[in-house]
This record gives sequence, C-alpha cells and structure tokens, in this order.
Amino acid sequence: MIVVHRLVRLLIVLLAVTFLSYALLNLLPGDPVTQILGLSATEEARAQVRQELGLDQPLLVRYLDWLGGIATGDFGTSYITRMPVAAELAERLPVTLELLVAAQVIALGLAIPIGVAAARRAGRALDQALTALSFALLSTPVFVLGVLLILVFAVTWQVVPATGWTPISLDLGWNLTSVILPAVTLGCGQLAVYARLLRTDLIATLQEDYITLARARGLSPRRILWRHALRPSAITLITAVGLNLGALIGGAVIIETLFGLPGVGRLIVDSIFSRDYLSVQGGVVLISVGYVAVNVAVDLVYAAVDPRIRRA
Amino acid sequence: MRRGRLSARLGLGFWLATGWILLVLLAALLADVLPLARYDETLAGPPRSGPSPAHPFGTDGLGRDVLSRVVHGARVSLGVGLGAVLLGLAIGAPLGLLAGYRRKAADAVIMALNDVAQAFPALVFALAVVAFAGANLRNVIIVLGVLGVPSWVRLVRGSTLTYAGREFVLAARVLGARDRRILWREVVPNVAVPASSYAFIGMAVVIVAEGSLAFLGLSVQAPTPTWGGLINEGRTIMEDAPNVVLAPSVVMFLTVLSFNLVGDRLRALTDVREIGLEPVRQAVAAVPAPTAPHPVRDCLLQAEDVRTHFVTPRGLVKAVDGVSFTLERGRTLAVVGESGSGKSMLIRSILGLLPGTAVRGGTVYLSGDDLTARSPAEMRSVLGPRLGTVFQDPMTALNPVRTIGAQVTEPLRVHLRMGRRQAREEAVRLLASVGIPDPARTLRRYPHQLSGGMRQRVTIAMALSCGPDVLFADEPTTALDVTIQDQVLRLLHRLREERDMAVVLVSHDLSVVARWADEVIVMYAGRVVERGPAAEVFGRPRMPYTEALLQAAPRLTDPAHHRLRVISGRPPDLADLPAGCAFRARCAYAGDRCATEPPPLTEVEGRAYACWHPLPSTETSLEGTHVDGR
Amino acid sequence: MAGSGNAHLRPRDEVLLRVEDLVVEFPAGRAGRTVSAVAGVSFDLRRGETLGIVGESGCGKSSAARALVQLPPPRSGSVLLDGQELTALRGEALRRTRRRLQMIFQDPISSLNPRRRVRDIVGEGPRVWQLPGDRVDEVLEAVGLDPGTAAERRPHEFSGGQCQRISIARALILEPEVVICDEPVSALDVSVQAQILNLLEDLKARYRLTLVFIAHDLAVVKNVSDRVMVMYLGKVCELAPGGDLISRPAHPYTRALIASIPSSARPAETLITGEPPSPVDPPSGCRFRTRCPRATDRCSLEEPQIRQIGEDHWLACHNPAPNH
Repeated sequence: MIVVHRLVRLLIVLLAVTFLSYALLNLLPGDPVTQILGLSATEEARAQVRQELGLDQPLLVRYLDWLGGIATGDFGTSYITRMPVAAELAERLPVTLELLVAAQVIALGLAIPIGVAAARRAGRALDQALTALSFALLSTPVFVLGVLLILVFAVTWQVVPATGWTPISLDLGWNLTSVILPAVTLGCGQLAVYARLLRTDLIATLQEDYITLARARGLSPRRILWRHALRPSAITLITAVGLNLGALIGGAVIIETLFGLPGVGRLIVDSIFSRDYLSVQGGVVLISVGYVAVNVAVDLVYAAVDPRIRRA
Repeated sequence: MRRGRLSARLGLGFWLATGWILLVLLAALLADVLPLARYDETLAGPPRSGPSPAHPFGTDGLGRDVLSRVVHGARVSLGVGLGAVLLGLAIGAPLGLLAGYRRKAADAVIMALNDVAQAFPALVFALAVVAFAGANLRNVIIVLGVLGVPSWVRLVRGSTLTYAGREFVLAARVLGARDRRILWREVVPNVAVPASSYAFIGMAVVIVAEGSLAFLGLSVQAPTPTWGGLINEGRTIMEDAPNVVLAPSVVMFLTVLSFNLVGDRLRALTDVREIGLEPVRQAVAAVPAPTAPHPVRDCLLQAEDVRTHFVTPRGLVKAVDGVSFTLERGRTLAVVGESGSGKSMLIRSILGLLPGTAVRGGTVYLSGDDLTARSPAEMRSVLGPRLGTVFQDPMTALNPVRTIGAQVTEPLRVHLRMGRRQAREEAVRLLASVGIPDPARTLRRYPHQLSGGMRQRVTIAMALSCGPDVLFADEPTTALDVTIQDQVLRLLHRLREERDMAVVLVSHDLSVVARWADEVIVMYAGRVVERGPAAEVFGRPRMPYTEALLQAAPRLTDPAHHRLRVISGRPPDLADLPAGCAFRARCAYAGDRCATEPPPLTEVEGRAYACWHPLPSTETSLEGTHVDGR
Repeated sequence: MAGSGNAHLRPRDEVLLRVEDLVVEFPAGRAGRTVSAVAGVSFDLRRGETLGIVGESGCGKSSAARALVQLPPPRSGSVLLDGQELTALRGEALRRTRRRLQMIFQDPISSLNPRRRVRDIVGEGPRVWQLPGDRVDEVLEAVGLDPGTAAERRPHEFSGGQCQRISIARALILEPEVVICDEPVSALDVSVQAQILNLLEDLKARYRLTLVFIAHDLAVVKNVSDRVMVMYLGKVCELAPGGDLISRPAHPYTRALIASIPSSARPAETLITGEPPSPVDPPSGCRFRTRCPRATDRCSLEEPQIRQIGEDHWLACHNPAPNH
C-alpha cells in the first residue's frame, strides 16, 4: 500500500522533471537547425530539416514521442553526431559511476571516523582542528581544489597523471591512478558536509538520557559511541547522502571537464556547447532517474536504521 | 543580551570573516577608483611575472595585472551572490511560510513541487539554460536564484513549522489575531534568525556555483573577469606561473570560507551547548578544600562534602555545595528540593556522570572504598554491578533504535560475562520480576512500542540487572500518570525489600517522599538545609524552608478555595549566591545574622538543620507561623 | 465509566457556558483510523464558577479545552457561550467571540514569543481589538509583576512562574468572561505553584472570572474548583463539588485516583492495575472496564449513563462503590 503510494509519487516526480526539462530546453532561444545547417541555409532547407527531425510538431507531441522512446530504451539520435544517444550514454556511464562511487566511499570512509572523533571530544583541541579542517574543505570550490591537487600531485610531484582515463577493463592499476585524484577532489567537499552533520547529530545524541544511562551502567565510551550513539545519529547523514547526490553530480560535471574524463558530465557539457538537445535531455533524464532511485534506496536504509519509521 | 557577551559568543573567527567580507565588498565597489591597472590592459607588466610591488599578485599570460582582475572578478561574484540569494529568498520564503503555516493542501502542493525541483540536476541545468539563453549577468542571477528556491522553501518551511506549533501562536489565535498578523508578529521574527544565517551560507553556495559556471566558460563573458574564469585561464599556465591560478583561488576560498563562517556562527547563536562523552576527572584544586579529613564510617554509601561546580561565562555556579550523608542497606534515602536545588546534580556527581564543564569535589565511599579516587575505567566496574540508576523520563531513557532485549542483556553480557542465551534467559526473568507481561515477546520489541509505565519498568529492570547494592532513582515517576506512578513506587519498594538494596530516591514531590523514604535530606540552592528521619522531618520541620514547602502543596483534605501558604520570591541565582543564608530573602523568620553568616548544618538528636532561627521542635507543621506571599 | 448523557446539565438560562456532547477526534497514522480524544462530554458553568477537570494523560481534558475555543473546532457537539453557539461560527464571526474566551497554557516558556517584549506580548490583545493599550501596566501589577522593570524585557529573562504570570496578564487584559486554564501549574515548582494558584483565586474575585481549570493533580484541582469533573479516556466518570468527591468518591476510577496519591490513606484494594487502553481502539461499553476492579459483563455491553447519586453529585457507572 505505502510502497505503491511511493512508487506513484516517484513516477510523478520523474514525469514532471522530464517534461519541465524538455519544455524548458526547447523553449529557450537557440535552434538546433541553425546549429546543423549554419546561418546561411535557405528557408526551404531549414524547413526540410525541421520536418526530418520532427521539430514542426507541437511541443507536447514531441515530448510524448520522446518519452515513449525512452520507455523502450531509445533516447533518440543526436542531431549533431548522428549517433544514438543511448549508446553514447551507456558508453560513458561507467566512468561517471566509478567516479561517484569512489568519491562517496572516500567521503563516508573518512567522514564517519572524523565525525565520531570530533563529537567524542567536542570542544577540545582535536575537535576544533577537525572542525576547522572540514570547514576549510567545505569552503573550497571543487574546481579550485582540483586545480590545486593537480598542481601538487601531477605537476610538482608527478605521482599521478593530470588528466586522462584508463578504463577498468584495460588495466586496473592505471584505472585506479586515473580515478584517484578526481575522486579525492570530488569526495573532499562531501566529506566535510558529512563529517559536520554526523558530529552535530552525535553531540545531540550524546546528551540524551539513554546515553547518560548507558554510562551509568558502566559501559565503555567506545561501546557507547559505536553501538548506542552512532545509529540514532545517522539519520541526517543518510538523508544527506541522498540529497547531496545532486551536488555531487554537479561536481562530477566539473571534475570530468577538469581531469578530461570521458563521463556523462563531460558529454552533457560538450552537448550543451554544441546545442545537442537530445544528448542533454538524455543526460538529464539519466541523472534524475539516478537521483530518484538513490533517494528511494535511502528511504529503505532509514527503515533499517530506525525502527520508529518502519510502521509509517 | 549584552553586546559584549554577544561578540564574545561569536568569536574572533566571526569578526575576521566579517572583516574579509567587508574588504572584498569595498574593493568590488571601489574597483574603478582604486589605484589599480586596468583589468583588460595587456602588457601592463611583463607576462607571467611573479608578485612585485607594481603587481602584487603578478601578471597573467597576456601581462595583465592579476590583482586588478581579481578585484573586478569580485564584482561578478558578489553581485551574482547577492542577486541570486535575494531572488531565492523572495520566491522561497513566502512559499515556505505558506507551506509551514497553512499546512494541509498548500503544504502538500508546495512540497511536491519542491521534490520535483530537487530531482533536477541543478548545475547541469544552470549550464544548459545559461548556454542557450545567453551567458550574461542577468541570466546567471536568475538561474542560480531560481535553483536556490527549493533550499529556501525547505529551510523556511521547517522553522515555520517549528514555531507555528508553539503555544504562543495558539495564544495569539485565542486573542483573536488574524492570520496575517500572527504570521508577521509571531512567526516571521523567529524564522528570521535561521533565515539570516542561511542567507550567508547561500551566498557561499552561489559564489561557488557562479565560479563553476565561469570555470566552464558559462558565466559573464570576457573581457569582464570572473574568479572561475581566472582560475580556468590560469591553470593552463600553472606550471610556470602558479600565481595566476593561486591568487583568484585563495581569494575565492577566503571569501567562501568567510560567508560560511558568518552563517555558521549566526546559527550557533541559537544552538545548545556542546559537551563530550568523557567522564570528568576529579579536579579538587579548583574547589575549596574541606577542613578536616572525614572518618570513613562502616556503612554502605557515604558521601562527604560533595561539591559540583560549573565554570560558566556568568561565573562559578555552585550546583552542589558540600553535601554529606550516609546510607545503610535496606533503607531509602530521599533527596527533596525544587528545580535548581542541585538534587539531580548530586546524584550525577556521585556516579561521575557530569558534563565536561563540571568540577567535582568531596569524597564518596562505597563500603569504605573511595569512589572519587577511581579512574573512569575503574568506575565503570562499579556502575551497573554495584550502583544502579533510573532516570525521570522513560520516553528518553531507552535507546529508540535498539530492541529491549539488546538493551537489557547488554549489562549482563558486559559485566557478568554471560553468553547470549544465558543473558536472554536472565533478561526474561528480570522483566517478569518488574511486572512486565509476556517478557519473552517484549525483548523483541522496540521502546516506542511500549507505554511509558512499561518503559520505566524496563529501565528499572536494566538498573537491577547486575544486582546493584544501591539504586539511584532520579524522579522515577514524575513523568508518569498518578495511577502508574503508584504502581512503579510500590514496585521499587518491593524490589528493595527482596534484594536488600539501598535506594536513593530523588523527588520534588513531598508526598512521594513522605510515604516511601526512611531518611530524607532537603536541599536548597545546592546545600542540605535539613536532614533526618522522614516522619520527623515532615511531621516537625525545623528549617523554615521545609515547613514552607510542606504548606505550599495543596492537600486533598483541605477545603476548596483554601488559601495556600506561599513562599514568596524565587530561588537565588546559583552563580551569585547571597552572603549568609540562601533562603533568607524568602524567609519570614530571617534576622540580621541570616544576612551575614551562613548557618551551618547543626546536628541535634539524629536530625540536622541549617538555620539560625529553627522552628521549635514541638510545633507541628500545620500550625507554623505565617510564611506569607506578597 | 464511559459516561455519556446530559442529565447533569443545568437549565440554559442559569449557565454562562454550556457544552453538550462534545466529540473531538484526530486522524491516527495514515490508515484512516482516528483517535477518539473526547467522546461525548457535556458540562456547564455558571457565571463566576470554577469547574475543575481532572484526569490522566490521554483522558481528553486538553483536547476538550482546545475544542472550547474552536482550535480546532470539535467533530460534533455544541459549545454555547451565553446562548451563542460557537461551533456554528467560522472566520470573522468566530474571531469576534474570541475576546470573551481566553486560555492559559501549560508550558510557560513555549507560550510566550521569545522575540517580543513583555509589553508587546501583553499589549497584543488590545492592539488586535483596537482598544486603548494603557491597561498593560495595570494588569502587570495585578498579576504581581512590576511594570517598570518587567515590561521592557523579553521572556527568557523571567522564571517559569513569572512567565506564567505574563501569560495570565495577556489573557486578562481583554477582560474575558471565561478563562480556560490548561494545566497552568504543572510545569512549576511547588512553591511557585502555590503563588499562581492563589493569584488565580485573587484575580477570579477581582475580575469576576469564570474558570475552567484543567490539571492531572487532584489536590490542585480540588483547591481551586467549585465542582470537579473526573475524565477517563474521553468520557466523564464523575462530577461533584470537590469536597464531596474526595470524601465520598463513587466511581472506581475516582477512588483509584485518590488512592494513588501517596499521602492519602486509602485502602489498597481500591488501587487499579494495568495501563489505559489506546484511544484509537477504545473498549466497548464502559471505557474503564479493562482496569476496573468492579467490572461485570454489563460494563462491556452497555455504556453507563450519567445519573444523579446525591446533591449535585453525578456518576456514570453501573457498579459504584458500595459504601457510598
């Protein structure tokens, strides 16, 4: 019952996102026909191309047509490259996924111990240092951090390549060296967000009566932190992992451009510059579906973490 | 709130950050009049030169002055930031207020739209729109402003919900105020605090977003310099002229950091205090040392001159100030007092469960063994096996995400080293002994599935699990209904008998204490003002405060509209205790001596009281002299 | 108990406030179930009278109080103030009646806006009604606060008891006819509680107030009330003048409430066990029967009606205590 309710809601969100993005991109100034034929083309030639591409149809018809295609896995054929959009996306998706997963793993893997360590000694030197560090990371734009890391690790020390990508199927070692710097760059901002959230929530949890009572039962601080306090404090963190996916994908677009990675983000940026509407659309749909799917997963994780939510 | 205190609470970082923001703002405003090279003047100096007096940040690949370009870039960053934040606020705040205040349909619609908006990949979208609609200042502001709307809606709705649910909003309705007035007078001023904090954080977010657009070449176009654009240009030559990329990077970092910091500090103003988990160590030096060493008596629990002080910005708060008592097996000691009397702090002090800002003094002996000399690790072997604890509110006393079984078996497994199965069997026995029906099934349930009375029984079972010698019960029934309260008190009494424990019962309710306690200590402003057998203390109080407290509570046997004897005024400020007797200002019997000399706790015939003008020992409580109110 | 019926209501022309068959329900969860908070409660007040309502958490006393001021309006039932039906009013017409019916809340901190000065909080009523605001000092003095020092401060500078005085001042300045006090002293220390109780008695005499006084503490309610009504799980159990109720309680629940008070010397057999059932799924017949030591089969089949058992002593029970 509730699952159905949720799924319907999700479907509505996806429909709304795809329609709004489709409509908005089509209504904005700029014309793919001009992009294809150039400014000097005759009106007849333009009309013909327009008809070929179906651009003479009303917006809603084109949208439904396009949506119908997507439902069967057909994202259309790019006006510019004449390639099926779905194939391009499929080729680039693994790069972006690997980048996102690696960034999340780095961010969460460091944020949890940092958040716990800071909360345990809230207000003391270690906490202040960790808080300052995460504040600094939080305030460093991803492209600034990327440039700095390239400057240090690729230009000065030359331990990793500055740009380029080796697929995992080709060579695992080279793949890892090509993903490490982008993933660290992308993960650092998230790391700061996560560590701060966890620290704040843990501090609040540590003031709860049940924590004081756990201490009154003679349990060790380590046990109290990891077994008693962490789980009730993780809710906001889990929400943030879902909601921040948007920011993370935005970051991935920059990172892929900066480090020259052949991912979906780079495809979208290139497509934007070449006015390749269908590829941009396809990318937006892919990202929105991913966002919605991850947030559904987050809701499921909630229920596992907090029994109070299970009934609802 | 005094200005000085406010600035101290905000901290140095806040003022440095504010200073930096003002500096950048001023530079941006005055960019044209400042004595700088023109930002687009090529070969203003040698290309790719490092910092020099003429060009403090050096020059770029075309020999343009980097400082000038950074200063002019600030105009775009701050301009877009201000514009987008104000736009987001202008659209998001009314929607958030509407959703949070009206609830129901308006809320559902607005939040559904918000869900949709959040599923948009914001930066991708901004890129596309700016690319297609034209990369200029207006479009960048509009796009980033609109993309910020969902966050504003969520923030404003959240705090509106919080405040709209408060009773002062209900009170305004009852007064007959119209919705518009309630919104403006009661809700908006409260929402303004988090909103102003978020405005600064939003500035940081927008500046970064604009920088990202500019980095990809999709913000304000050349020749106008932007920070993101400068960094993008600089990175191509960073091998031989790192200053070109570093200068805008550092300036941007500091600016974003400053906005984040100011926003964070403003929010922290409304936050609660922060404490850690580490138990406090004994810090006797800060507490005035007791005069004479105490004889260690042959009893179960002995507290000698226990002190708990807090160092606060307002001064030293003496929450507990020299409390002593002894307790035998099989007896109940009651600690009574009003809020702020220090009764709960006394318990936490004895158990070593104080927040980190506390300073503890005095000695506590358990069967002659000095607990205050123990390290936190040594203390943990006593907490649970020898000292059990029950708190006031059963709703908050159990961990909401762990099963009852996991929580009840934990002390058994940790302290008594029981196996999983054995601990479970013991837990079933324990729950049954505190009167929980179907204990095996209860073990699998979560706290929220139990009623308040049942939860309190569970916490009692947990406190008793390792067979403690002393049970500390801090207002164990205050949060419970009166019929349940009675059941729980009877249970505690029965368990004390069965297990031959001692009980320390903390309560503000004199009738509870009178019925269930053997000994009683009455606390006022952190000190013991009267001590003795419960029947005697309540039958013939010697200290005027005890008497007044007894007479202030309405009795069932009094006729209706019976005028209550009141204690005028209120308890003293613990950070600024008066000289002499702390109760003097509210006492009808106070004399000159009470104002200058604090009365010592005088022991007479098994009782003790701290008063210069004690009530005669023959007088009964009902015939006390007037302790009138105003 | 589960008392329904209106036998205890007095003639309409004698009373200022008359509440009939009040029903308050809230949605519970998503499954379309409802919490039956108040299930057919009737009572009335003469001008200048104080009615005490006592009961444990979940008995519906606070829900009933809020339904009186129509925040939110009850599911059904009638609230007549001086002959005017409040439940039929909406919008501006309802707002016009607000001056006559004021309320004091339990939490002294939450019921004052932290960002406003005391002068503005207390003066809000006159401003809403466009009355001269010069009575602020007078009412502040009436509730025992010094206008000179108190008026310009904000709520956080005051103690709980003083905040409650400010709340009382805010309600009084509109010269209401009825004041509903919803657990006004529950959050206060004993010594401060006595101050507020005495203050309410003084103000009642001075301003000729009619009070509905709600609390969970029987001794407190008895102290200020002319009549005391005992509620359990949304229903009326017993209604009588306070002295009569304590000396001759007839309802098993009233007796249990009295026996539960530690200082009372009541026999243990009047004590009850167990916990109140869920108001989402209340028991059939008498709602108290699941905990009642005197329950019979009849109690599960038939809801007891309110009947008179003594002079102004009303009861809803099939098997009242024998010694009455």
